[in-house]
Amino acid sequence: MLSESDAKELLSFLKLDMRPDVKGQATEYILGLTGNRDGCRYLRTKPDFLRALLTLTADSSVAIVKDCYHALINLSADETLHQVMVKETDILPTLLKNLLDPKYMFSDRICTIISNLSRHEKTCREVFRAIQEHNIGLAKLVEIFCTEGYNKHASLHYLGPLLSNLTQLPETRHFILDKERCVVQRLLPYTQYEASTVRRGGVVGTLRNCCFDYAHHEWLLSDEVDILPFLLLPLAGPEELTDEENEGLPVDLQYLPEDKKREEDPDIRKMLIETLLLLTATKAGRQIMKRKNVYPIMREFHKWEKEPQVISACEKLVQVLIGDEPEAGMENLMEVEIPADVEQKLKDLDAKEQEQIEKEMEELREEKSEKEKPEGQREESGESQPTSTSPEGLER
Amino acid sequence: MAFPAHQGDDSDDGMDEFMDKFTEQKYKNAFNENNWEEEFDKVPMFMKKAPEEIDPATHPDLACLQSIIHDDDRPLEEQAKSLKDEGNEYFKEKNYKRAVVSYTEGLKKNCADTALNAILYTNRAAAHFHLGNMRSALNDAVAAKKIKPDHLKAILRGAQCCMELHNYADAVQWCDEGLKVHPTDKKLLDLRAAADKQKRAAERDARKAKAKEKKKRSEKEALLAAIKERGIKLLEPDNPRRRGSDSEDDDADKDPVAAMATLDLDGFSSQEATGARVFMDDQGVLHWPVLFLYPEHQQTDFISAFAESSCFIDHLCVMFGEELPPWDTEQKYQPQNLQLFFEDHEKEHLYQVDLETLLLKVLQHQRCFIKSGTPSFIIMVKGSEFSKQFLSGKKVHRMK
Repeated sequence: MLSESDAKELLSFLKLDMRPDVKGQATEYILGLTGNRDGCRYLRTKPDFLRALLTLTADSSVAIVKDCYHALINLSADETLHQVMVKETDILPTLLKNLLDPKYMFSDRICTIISNLSRHEKTCREVFRAIQEHNIGLAKLVEIFCTEGYNKHASLHYLGPLLSNLTQLPETRHFILDKERCVVQRLLPYTQYEASTVRRGGVVGTLRNCCFDYAHHEWLLSDEVDILPFLLLPLAGPEELTDEENEGLPVDLQYLPEDKKREEDPDIRKMLIETLLLLTATKAGRQIMKRKNVYPIMREFHKWEKEPQVISACEKLVQVLIGDEPEAGMENLMEVEIPADVEQKLKDLDAKEQEQIEKEMEELREEKSEKEKPEGQREESGESQPTSTSPEGLER
Repeated sequence: MAFPAHQGDDSDDGMDEFMDKFTEQKYKNAFNENNWEEEFDKVPMFMKKAPEEIDPATHPDLACLQSIIHDDDRPLEEQAKSLKDEGNEYFKEKNYKRAVVSYTEGLKKNCADTALNAILYTNRAAAHFHLGNMRSALNDAVAAKKIKPDHLKAILRGAQCCMELHNYADAVQWCDEGLKVHPTDKKLLDLRAAADKQKRAAERDARKAKAKEKKKRSEKEALLAAIKERGIKLLEPDNPRRRGSDSEDDDADKDPVAAMATLDLDGFSSQEATGARVFMDDQGVLHWPVLFLYPEHQQTDFISAFAESSCFIDHLCVMFGEELPPWDTEQKYQPQNLQLFFEDHEKEHLYQVDLETLLLKVLQHQRCFIKSGTPSFIIMVKGSEFSKQFLSGKKVHRMK
C-alpha cells in the first residue's frame, strides 16, 4: 500500500506534539484506509500505527479524537484485526480506564469498539481478562450499565451487546447468575427499555445465553428473580383478556393498558421466544410456565406476528406449552438422546421448513421496501459497517 | 468467698473473730427482710430497669451516675459514647422515646467521631421506626448514610422505612446503593426482592383500578347515550354539584361527556337512598327504578327495575293482584280501577297515561322529565272522591 518510507513519514505525523493541521490530515488519511477491507488488512501489519491512533485519542482536538475513534471502530469490525489490537496495540487498558470515567466524552465509541472485539470467543476471553485484571470487574460494568445518567456524554447502550458477547464465556454467565448477588435482576427491566434497540437487544441476548444453563432455570423462574414477566411483557399486546385470564397471569402482565405496544424489532422478538423455549427444557420449568398462564399471551401474539421466522419460533413454543408431557426419561429436553436416523429426519424437516420460511420471507420482502436485516446470531456485532462511519467530506 | 483452710496459725488477721461476730450481731445497714427487694432495686448496680425520674433524694447513686454522664468535662467522644450506651439501654427495654432523647443528646455533642455519629443516627432511626415515626426514621437513616455511605444498618433501615411508607421504588434504590458496597448481603438481597415485588404489585393495582374506572366510565357513557338516543330527558339536579366552582366537575365545562355524566342518574340524593339506578341489560333494554305514588293514602311503591318494554298494567296486576295493600282499607285499588298520571313539574300539568302504554313511550313524551333518575307516577282510583278533589283546578291532559 504505502512504501516503507511513506509509512514512516506518516507515522511521524501521528504524534501528539505534531502541528494540528498535519496531525489532522494524517488521521483523516488513516481513517480513510480503515474504510475498506484492504486498508484494514494493511494496517493489521502496522501495529505502531494502531498505537499511534490510540495515543492520539488523548489529543486536545476533538475532531482528531473523533477520527481516531472512528478508525478504531472500523478496525474492530474486522475480525482479523482483533488479535493485533488487543495484543500488540494493547488497546484494552486505555479504553477501559476511560470507560470508567463518568466525564469521558467518547465512552459510547469505546463501548462500540470493545463490543466488536468481544464478538469472537478468542478475543472475547482477552476482553474478559482485561476487565478482571484492571480492577474493573463485571460488577462494575453492570453497575455502569444500569446507572441512569452515569455519563452525561454517553448513553453506554453498547455495553448491552458487550455483556451479551461476554456471556459466551461460562465465567460471565456464572457471575450474572450468581444467587448470592443481585446481577441478573438488575438487567431484567431493560427488556422494555424503549429508548434503545441496542440496549434492549443486548440484554435479551444476555438473558438468552444465560438460559442455556438449565441448572439455573428454577431459580430464574422463582420469585427471587422472576424472569418470566420480563420476557413476556415485550411480547404482550393491548388486547383485553378476560378477568379470569388476567388474574392467572404474572402480576406485571395483568391489566395492560390499551396503548401497550409489542417489541418492534423482530430479531429481538425471536430471541425472546428462544429464551422462553430454553426455559421449557426442564419439567419444572414447563410446569411453571404452564401454571403462569403463558399460553394466552403467546396465543394473542401469534395472531399479531407477521414475520415467518418469528411465527415459527412462536409455534414451537406453543407446542410445548399445550402439548403433553414427554414420557419418563425424556423430561429434560436438553438431555434427550436422539437416535441417528431420527436426527437425520429432523434435520431434513428443519431444512424443508427453513426453505419454506425463506420463501415466505422473500414474498414479504417483495411487498415492502428492502431493509437490511442482519441474521440472528449468538454474538452481537456493534456498529461496524465502514460506510456508516466515514467522516464527512471523505470521498470513497 | 473462699477462705484459706484453717492453717492452725494466727495468720488470718483476726478474720475468724470477725466472722464469728456475725453469728451474734446483725451488721448495721442490713436490708430489712420485708423490703429487701425494693431496696435492691434502688441500688443502681442491681436495678433491672432505669427508674422513670431519677430523684436524687431516693436514688442518689443513680443521679450521681447520670450527672457523670450528662454534665461533665470528659472529651466529647466519651460523652457521646455514654449517651449512645444509655440510649441502647433504653432501647433494649423498649423505651424508645427515651432512647431517642439519649441519642439526640449524643448527637448534640457534635463530636468528631463520624462512625459514632453514624451509629447514633442509625440507632435513633431504629427507635423512631419502632415508634412508628417513619419520616423521622428515614431522615435519620439519610443523615447516617450521608456521613458514612457504607453503613449497612443505615441503608437497611432506610430501605425498610421506604417500604413502610409504600415507597417501593425508593426502597429498591436504597438496596441497590447498599449492594454496591455490600454485594452479597443477604438482608439487602431479600429486602430488594420484596420491595421490587411490592412495587410491581402496586403498579398492577394502579393499572387494574384504571381499567375498572375506564370500564365504568364507558358503561356510563353508553347508558347516557342510549337514554339520549331515545329522546328521554333527565332533569339536572338542583344540587351544588353543577355549579362551576366545584373542583370535581371542572372538567364538566370542557368535556361534554363529562357534563352528561354529571346528570343525575342516581336515585334520591338524600331522603331515600335506594341505591337503585337505571341500567341496560344484555339485550340493550333499559330498566328504570320507578316510583308509584298514592297521594290518597300518602303511600308509595318502589319498583327497582321496570323494563322500558313492559307496560304499567303488567306491574299493577302483580302488585294489586292477589292481595291488596294493607293501607287500601276500602279495598278499591283494583288494577282495572286505577288511573295513572305523570306530572309536568314545570308547568304543573298532569298527563294521564293509558295503563297499557309501555314505559318507554311515556318517558319519551315531550313533557316528561325524569327527576333524580327515577320516574314517578301518581295513581288514584277512577272516579273516587279523592281523585275528583285532587284533579279539580289542575290542567289534565290525556297522553297521546
